[in-house]
Amino acid sequence: MTAPLLSARGLKIAFGGVKAADGIDLDIAPGEFVAIIGPNGAGKTTFINMTTGYLRPHSGHIHFDGAEITGRPPRSIVRRGIARSFQIPQLFTEHTVIENVALKVAAHGRFWRPFRPLLDAGTAAAAMRLLEQFGLAGVATARATELNEGTRKLTDIAMAMALRPRLLLMDEPTSGVASAEKFGIMDTLVAALRAERVTAVFVEHDMEVVERYADRVAVWSQGKILASGPPAAVLSDPAVLREVIGVETGHAHA
Amino acid sequence: MTLLLFLAILDGLAYAAQVFMVAVGLTLIFGVLRILNVAHGSFFAIGGYVAATLGTWAAATAAAPVLALPVLLLAAVMVGGVLGPAIERLVLARIYTKEHVLQLLVTFALFMILEDVQKLVWGVQPIFQDGPVRALGQVEVGDIIYTAYQLYLLPGVALATLFGLMWFLRRTLTGRVIVAVTEDREAATAMGIDANRVYLLTFTVGTVLAALGGALASPTTSLVPGVGVNMIVLSFAVVATAGLGQIEGAMLTALLIGLGRSVAVYFAPEFEVVIPYIIMVAVLLIRPHGLFGRPELRRV
Repeated sequence: MTAPLLSARGLKIAFGGVKAADGIDLDIAPGEFVAIIGPNGAGKTTFINMTTGYLRPHSGHIHFDGAEITGRPPRSIVRRGIARSFQIPQLFTEHTVIENVALKVAAHGRFWRPFRPLLDAGTAAAAMRLLEQFGLAGVATARATELNEGTRKLTDIAMAMALRPRLLLMDEPTSGVASAEKFGIMDTLVAALRAERVTAVFVEHDMEVVERYADRVAVWSQGKILASGPPAAVLSDPAVLREVIGVETGHAHA
Repeated sequence: MTLLLFLAILDGLAYAAQVFMVAVGLTLIFGVLRILNVAHGSFFAIGGYVAATLGTWAAATAAAPVLALPVLLLAAVMVGGVLGPAIERLVLARIYTKEHVLQLLVTFALFMILEDVQKLVWGVQPIFQDGPVRALGQVEVGDIIYTAYQLYLLPGVALATLFGLMWFLRRTLTGRVIVAVTEDREAATAMGIDANRVYLLTFTVGTVLAALGGALASPTTSLVPGVGVNMIVLSFAVVATAGLGQIEGAMLTALLIGLGRSVAVYFAPEFEVVIPYIIMVAVLLIRPHGLFGRPELRRV
């Protein structure tokens, strides 16, 4: 077996009395596309926050590509190759779509060349290539405020991809998106991830999306991983159904 | 009557240009750092004093007419380049997360200290230089003989500043980074932007602009203690009327207030001082966020 790209061991964190992570062990292999499911408050987003440096676990360790990244600041983790997208897309609303992506493309270089245009030839081309990959070329010059939710989600993910990550963590890429759009969005982003050979983890509530796209699914419950394996097997496990799917029926058939 | 009105308009344009230079720095700093900097008036005054001192020295050299204008820019860069970073790092960086009232008090204290520094260095006698005005000579506009300095240079510098800043903030990488930090500091930091450097750069640019405003004013007005107070109060009026953080808006309200004031000078001198504030109060009563301000949306 190849060495895992991301490896979490014994992660623990609590907010007040609530254990959002209570001994999380999780390995992500290179090239995997892993879904994290579980009821609200199970600690799914907390895992993303700990892995990307937004939260420091109270105990436990996270290794990325063999190096310890536990508790490092977000900037440093981004530079090592882990990017994330957000449940609520974090776009700069004063910027156009292409500028949003270009800012992140430029984040690799130096920000302090006062008279260099943001959209110089190289940056604009790199940003445009990403927009085309994500089917966003048509809205390149639209303001971020003019977009619908699905487009905002894709832009947010394209921005994360502009950081050229090896691992991408996505928090509910299809939440808030019209039901008819969700497979289109997932097809687009899975194709882009495969083309760039990016490993990805995504938090998801929609079981149709999980079954259709994930290589593996990890079930979260009260800060612990209840089950992990191929979607077909995990999603038919009675314990999982009781713990997660029961609560999620509304979403599964939405 | 027509002649007087024409003269009032020329004076108003030149005055608006000077006020804009100070107001635009104030509004830029507020837009990015969210600090209303009372000490901004001191940068104007010190810029003027240093320009007058350098100008007087330059006038005594053989290259007097050639040096007269570059000296103004040099003074602005010297004052802004030294005071800006020093004050931002040593004082403001410690109070970004504090309450607005405390920030206002701290910058007010800075203003008082810098006011005394001016008196210690330059005394209380009026200081004046006219090198730059003489270097550019006079022009005839209709029946009026006017200085080219006030007719062309002041409005020209103000317009160049306006368009330069708009281009910088909208098109350049550094400008877009500044806007991104203004909008969402956390998200910008997460992608590798150093927000502290953005603050340092913005404050320094704002300080240089205020000092340039003072340097440009030094040949048209006598520098006396209190000149900084007048300018900061007037700039506040311009910035508040336009809407805090509004750069293009600051230009238009500077024109409105500059012209209003100079028309008052010629036709109703007793109202000269209050006209800008009457305009401000009238606007804010109708539009509390200023002419161009939107409630908590756009800041630069």
